[in-house]
Amino acid sequence: MLRKKLFNVGFQAVATVDRRPFGFADLARYPLFPPEFLDFVRRVLPSERDQEIVHTVVVTGRRPL
Amino acid sequence: MSYFTDADARKIISATYEKAQASTAVAARLYAPGELSLLPPGAVALALGVNHPVRHAALLRGERVLDIGCGAGIDTLLAARAVGSHGRVVGLDMTPAMLDRARGHIAEAGADNIELREGLMEALPFPDGSFDVVVSNGVLSLSTRKSRALAEMLRVLRPGGRVALGDLVLTDTLPEALVKDPTALAV
Repeated sequence: MLRKKLFNVGFQAVATVDRRPFGFADLARYPLFPPEFLDFVRRVLPSERDQEIVHTVVVTGRRPL
Repeated sequence: MSYFTDADARKIISATYEKAQASTAVAARLYAPGELSLLPPGAVALALGVNHPVRHAALLRGERVLDIGCGAGIDTLLAARAVGSHGRVVGLDMTPAMLDRARGHIAEAGADNIELREGLMEALPFPDGSFDVVVSNGVLSLSTRKSRALAEMLRVLRPGGRVALGDLVLTDTLPEALVKDPTALAV
């Protein structure tokens, strides 16, 4: 979807150059969220899909010449 | 769809980031030890990105780089090292408290090829074609107007200029209860 958004606004050579799962343990590293929020996330997201639902990516593209 | 107005989302996100506590957990996950050893500890302890777009940006000496959502400046500083003294990096953030932190880290690093600006990714305060490269790390997902922000990135790049975006993407819809939670806006 992110690649498509870049393409739709006019970027060319759009590519995903890195993609990794972003699970609950990754979210918990961030010193931004109170414990009750992390508990809430853990409750509402199915633990068996922890490594599936969110991914971290790097997407690259180029403005046309 | 978003359950929040643009203005409300910005307020919530700014307030969340202003309160960020120092922790090296994120930086240790994303960056190489050799990169971190070159940076002010404060910048390392306030790394809040989700990936390492600068690593994939193939920056060249002398290039002009825009770091959107620069936060406390870790990617801005890494980009400034990559482009060297003949290059220039602009760090943009909407949260004055984060810009203050970045200003301190840049001074501590002695980097004289960095400029900081306050502004929104959906209305970049730069003329068309101002940059060779745009990078951003964990910021686009915070916008309620992502296509607008991407169009602005395209506008400020010179023809042939590159973008490297680190971000979070979903492979499924999130539970509505989570989408409605204001704290989730800052993820």
